[in-house]
Amino acid sequence: MDFGTAKPAVNSFERAKFTGSASEYFGIWIVNILLTVVTFGIYSAWAKVRRNRYFYGNTVVLGSRFEYHATGKQIFIGRLIVFGVVIVLNVLASLHPLFGFVTLVLALIAMPWLVMRGIRFNARVTSYRNVRFDFVGTVGGAFVAVMVGGFLAAISFGLLAPFASRWLNRYVFNNLRYGDRKFLVDPRIGLLYLALIIPAIITIIGIAILGVLIAGAIATQSSGDLPGAVLIGSIYSVTFGVLIAYALAGIVYRAAVHNIVWSSMVIDGRHRLRSDLSRGRYAWITLSNLLVTICTFGLMRPWAAVRLTRYIVEHTAIAVDGDIGDVVTAVQQSGGAIGAEYMSMEGFDFGF
Amino acid sequence: MASDREVIASGEWYPPGSSGRVIATLVFRADGISAVSADGNQLSKGALSSLSISARVGDIPRRINFSDGSLFETTDNAAIDTFVKKNGRRHADWVHRLEQFHPRIFAFAAIVVLLAIGIYRYALPLLVEIAVLVTPPVVPQMMSSGTLSTLDTTVLSKSEVPEERQTEITARFARIAGETKEGAAAYSLNFRDGGAIGPNAFALPDGNIVITDQLIQLADGDDEMISGVLAHEIGHVEYKHSLRQLYRAAGMAALVILIAGDVGSGVEDILTQGGGLLALSYSRSAERQADQRSVELMRAGGMDPLAIARFFEKLEDKFEDHSGTSMLSTHPGTPERRQAILDYARSLEVR
Repeated sequence: MDFGTAKPAVNSFERAKFTGSASEYFGIWIVNILLTVVTFGIYSAWAKVRRNRYFYGNTVVLGSRFEYHATGKQIFIGRLIVFGVVIVLNVLASLHPLFGFVTLVLALIAMPWLVMRGIRFNARVTSYRNVRFDFVGTVGGAFVAVMVGGFLAAISFGLLAPFASRWLNRYVFNNLRYGDRKFLVDPRIGLLYLALIIPAIITIIGIAILGVLIAGAIATQSSGDLPGAVLIGSIYSVTFGVLIAYALAGIVYRAAVHNIVWSSMVIDGRHRLRSDLSRGRYAWITLSNLLVTICTFGLMRPWAAVRLTRYIVEHTAIAVDGDIGDVVTAVQQSGGAIGAEYMSMEGFDFGF
Repeated sequence: MASDREVIASGEWYPPGSSGRVIATLVFRADGISAVSADGNQLSKGALSSLSISARVGDIPRRINFSDGSLFETTDNAAIDTFVKKNGRRHADWVHRLEQFHPRIFAFAAIVVLLAIGIYRYALPLLVEIAVLVTPPVVPQMMSSGTLSTLDTTVLSKSEVPEERQTEITARFARIAGETKEGAAAYSLNFRDGGAIGPNAFALPDGNIVITDQLIQLADGDDEMISGVLAHEIGHVEYKHSLRQLYRAAGMAALVILIAGDVGSGVEDILTQGGGLLALSYSRSAERQADQRSVELMRAGGMDPLAIARFFEKLEDKFEDHSGTSMLSTHPGTPERRQAILDYARSLEVR
């Protein structure tokens, strides 16, 4: 069926679909692991290609699927380059302590560059209906969006996280192109702060409960018959407890931000997207996935991955302004994403 | 249908660089493969050898790229498989055949589990040793810098132990530190009030060793016992235990992420953050090694090699810790450790 002949209602939202299955992905996943181990890790680059092709190819939007075009060789070369640079820097650092400092500075400079190249690589190896995505973000943009934003969020204990989320998503999506068409997101800072309320409450309750536990432990300690080892043990469990509360808050926040960002997305100035993840359901899926994965020594990971992807994909919808057939036919491949530079591009597959 | 013209599969055809698709069939003729639209127009054509056919993954659409940049896409994987097989590429897509749901897949799962255990037992320790060997000496310094000052502002405070008492303890400390390969200059002793951490001593990877007032109090004038505990901490530094533990946690995380590919954000968090926590504690075998080093150093320094055992005795009495080693704890149970030290000291005597 061609959407050029079918006439969907104008401006109505249509949900995306995910057609992958856990049993099918299990086969791909287990063979990926087996071949990766047998080849001492080399196959992992080709494994990544098969995994991504499976997930992209099973994501259906308006009757068409995505395709992932990276080759194992590209990704392998990209990893080899990064690995080689790390080794050279380490050797230099062992020759003279000054190089250790230089290494640190170089890593800080290289990070935003790698992030930018990573996003661009991932965009350019992705296509939908034979037209590739592209990414035009700059290194400076990556520095602000990823490093400055992340740093501010970390030192403010998450209180500035909405700004970091806004910068990061604007950097990623406003520089994204589908063929010659632009994406635009504008997640409002007020909405992002509203999204922070529940995670903040979770964190405060978590810390309050742990505070009571610590106070109890110290009270028993001062009564004088508790070995230091027990106290050290409780310091560990408190640290773990704080991490768990933080992680849960992070999951809930992530779902809310996803909704805000995707629901603010406009393609080519007229096609709208929407995301309606439920925070509770998303947190439940993430946590139960984690437990099931750990309890089965990782063997249920394919099931967990398919389950979460299906949930996210099927809670995303798009409303196309006009006839979908006419709309996509008008999109042309922009020159930048193809050609010699793309073909020989090394696969720095970090970020995103 | 004439034998010189055979429909391979139906699907959609895209012109080069365009998303405007046309419903089409892929047709095999004696002179090549072509994409033909529903009304009979030939859209693209090429010899079989000039086409690139995407490898099969699960049941996602297959892509047949023509050399002019146009694309034929079909969901009819079975038809493409049959066609590819018939045309001499029999070994194409062997990976896909392995991936299929077949009893063999359970054997793969079992092999993967065994390999994982093998990697954990043998490959990980080997990688850690290599990493420790090639680590430049600045790294332990970088790891330690800031740690002591952070502890000073949080848990620890200034020592109340009188100056002359500190000098006595430091003199004994220098005697055992002098017996190490790096010499006394590589180690320095710091006195602090332990506050919440109570009677304790710990070592930073750069050779800074901290002893708390509460431990000195607990020793109750038994200076050799204090030296024994400090020798144990020197052992941790000498064997680079904290660096090893850090590499173990990092190597574990890196291996899991490399081998399993995407592991999900939850598992990743546990591996990186939980691993960091794990790196803070020494493993059981590290404690045993440090205990033995204490015996050796004390002997070499002309002090009682069993002094550290007395410390455990004291701990037992004070805290009534008669527990055996539990599966969950990283520290061997105190009585068991004391016995191991006595055994080791005896074995040195015999030698």
